[in-house]
Amino acid sequence: MKKLFTVKNTQIWKSIFRHGPPEDRRNRSLAVLANVFLHLHPVKVRSSSIRLRYTWCMGGLTFFLFLVLTVTGILLMFYYRPTVEYAYGDIIDLREQVPLGAMREIHRWGAHAMVISVWLHMFRVFMTGSYKPPREFNWVVGVLLLVLTLLLSFTGYLLPWDQLAMWAVTVGSNMARATPLMGTEGPGTALLVLGDVKLVHAGNDARFFLLAGRFVGAATLLRFYVLHCIAIPFVASILMAVHFWRIRKDGGISGPL
Amino acid sequence: MWNVGSFLRVEKGFQMAEKSDSKPEITRRGFLSWVRAGWIAFTAAAATGSLSAFRFMFPNVLFEPPQIFKAGFPSEYADGMVDTRWKEKFRVWIVREGNLIYALRSVCTHLGCTPNWLSTEEKFKCPCHGSGFYISGINFEGPAPRPLERVRISLAEDGQILIDQTQIFQQEKGQWSNPESFLII
Amino acid sequence: MIDSLKELINSISSPSFFLTLSIILLGVSLYFKQFWTRRSLGIAAAISGGLFLFSVTDENFREIVAKPDNLPIIALLFLVGFFTWLSLHLAFDNDRRKAAGEPILEKQETLPKTFVWPDLVYIEFIALIVCTVVLIVWSVLLKAPIEEPANPADSPPSTKAPWYFLGLQEMLVYFDPWIAGVVIPSIIVLGLMAIPYIDRDVKGSGYYSFRERRPQILVFLFGFSILWVFLIILGTFFRGPNWNFFGPYEFWDVHKVVLMNNVNLSEFIWVRGMGIGLPRNWLVREIFGIVLLLGYFAVPPYLLARGWFRSYYEKLGINRYLLMMFLLLSMLALPIKMYLLWIFNLKYIVSIPEYFFNI
Repeated sequence: MKKLFTVKNTQIWKSIFRHGPPEDRRNRSLAVLANVFLHLHPVKVRSSSIRLRYTWCMGGLTFFLFLVLTVTGILLMFYYRPTVEYAYGDIIDLREQVPLGAMREIHRWGAHAMVISVWLHMFRVFMTGSYKPPREFNWVVGVLLLVLTLLLSFTGYLLPWDQLAMWAVTVGSNMARATPLMGTEGPGTALLVLGDVKLVHAGNDARFFLLAGRFVGAATLLRFYVLHCIAIPFVASILMAVHFWRIRKDGGISGPL
Repeated sequence: MWNVGSFLRVEKGFQMAEKSDSKPEITRRGFLSWVRAGWIAFTAAAATGSLSAFRFMFPNVLFEPPQIFKAGFPSEYADGMVDTRWKEKFRVWIVREGNLIYALRSVCTHLGCTPNWLSTEEKFKCPCHGSGFYISGINFEGPAPRPLERVRISLAEDGQILIDQTQIFQQEKGQWSNPESFLII
Repeated sequence: MIDSLKELINSISSPSFFLTLSIILLGVSLYFKQFWTRRSLGIAAAISGGLFLFSVTDENFREIVAKPDNLPIIALLFLVGFFTWLSLHLAFDNDRRKAAGEPILEKQETLPKTFVWPDLVYIEFIALIVCTVVLIVWSVLLKAPIEEPANPADSPPSTKAPWYFLGLQEMLVYFDPWIAGVVIPSIIVLGLMAIPYIDRDVKGSGYYSFRERRPQILVFLFGFSILWVFLIILGTFFRGPNWNFFGPYEFWDVHKVVLMNNVNLSEFIWVRGMGIGLPRNWLVREIFGIVLLLGYFAVPPYLLARGWFRSYYEKLGINRYLLMMFLLLSMLALPIKMYLLWIFNLKYIVSIPEYFFNI
């Protein structure tokens, strides 16, 4: 105990923690205010609004699962090569050869869990009417985050490069062929012609944009990999920052205003 | 639309200031038109940038099997048979019926799976969702909404069959009567 | 005895049966608030748990349910059920409190405000630990599946989309890809975003309540639990090879043949109704379907604005009202089209294959 006391008196400790232990009112406030992560919360909240039966903690769990998926995802990236030659073998190796062979499992099951927790979070927010003014725009941001979660999961689906991945993505991306005016088989696309030349064809339609090719192939794998690991998480992080900030500004976690 | 009213309101005050200033080097109107030109240029540049980034996502070169390839001589194909030798690489079946040869894309018209030719049952069957097609490519069972697609077929100068997948012929549009969609030998 | 019971369940099982059943269940349960007490939760849990245990003894059922990738969907089924109960339980509790003049659960002013550190931070911390433990146990017990290496030339039998898109894949049975895959998802996303701009009633903001938000909750529960979650359950456990329907205890036979003889509206009218052939010109051929479709989106908003929905029309104004009606009618279009297919074998209302335009 005495040793800890001396540690706390060092310049290093004091430079990191600028307040005392959170045991009194002042320091408990400071613990939240002076911490970049915790200050997304207000200092004080209504006692009833932190009860688990009202919030279900689903928003928090979704964010936590996002962090888990980021960490496990980074670890998986150390062993995975997004090419047609190596991808499948690397996934097998991740199970058979790599230490802590359950990393892919945590990533996959965590992703399933995140989709469910996002839905339940939306469900709770709806049932408590928490999208009403002034929180309307934050609901919109939430819907965008929900879509990004599904896109993250969908792009990740291709990466194992097994039969399930390839054909689920083939079938899924085939919908894009039917985009009105922008897919080769979409309604109205046949009207977009210059003389005999089709303006929208299999080599430049919406599905081509998605797959970077006419079929699910090497370019698709790389494209989905980049989307999955960098592009979508990047956008989602920005939207999450907006989402959390606005929760704070609009009166904190759930509760009547 | 430019908000003329707010500009006019500012103008009054500005003119008064202008009067007290003995050497007006930039007139208010001139300054505003520069600002306007600046914003237009900025918007145009931003739009061009976004469009180029969008275009960037469409590759110019594909590392896929070539769309145009030579498929050997017509005599290599037996009558009444579906030839599957090009299916794996180019996703095309070549069918010969009598002196008629045509090439069908091995892509199901339902959701893009790869059907199989079942020679005993004399049909193309898609394993994904069960669509079935006759040897002619006409759909007769399952969810496929339309027949398989033909691709352009012709004879090259050396007498080999030339398949060109860039051009597609759809039966329901009446394109199978196009002479480029089949080969008579 | 048990086998004949299973036979019976298999034979009455069908998408139409399950959809009708779930709609009736939702309606009845919302009508009786006794349904949302602790006791009925216990009864519902006992029934569904018992049914599940009984079913697990069946080999065919077990084979589908025990797939590692299907575990989250079983969890989803029970979680959505439980949280629907919990939210409505709290909502009815609040309604009772309001009627009795008591403060609602979320706003008891007698309770003081509490510090985030340590109270909230510790709740979050414990939730994280529980979540981590569950995830690790799950990951150690169940291996993530991996199939054969990808092969573009060889489609495997029965390709399904990822489980969270199975609702959309089910819609493919009733609509063409451009509607099921593009239009409906866009309407779902935009419709969700539009909710706070249509429902601006300040009543019921930030707390559970049923009485103050009856129509909203009805619509949302119908859309979320039936048209989304229920269709996912259906797609996962009841759609087998070739997307054919299979009863819960039925073997997933790859060669099951289902006769589908679907007829377009134009054929109903021109061929069967009038006894003449289909007209050549597509506009003439499809004119009835087009009129029907336009009427579907135009007439009900007009009539309802003067009738039942008059108060909404006056409160929301023309733009919001029309947007709301468009979203509601789009949502209802799905079950309507489903029943039309089941009852009349109707395939397309408007069918213009010349332009890939089928509805």
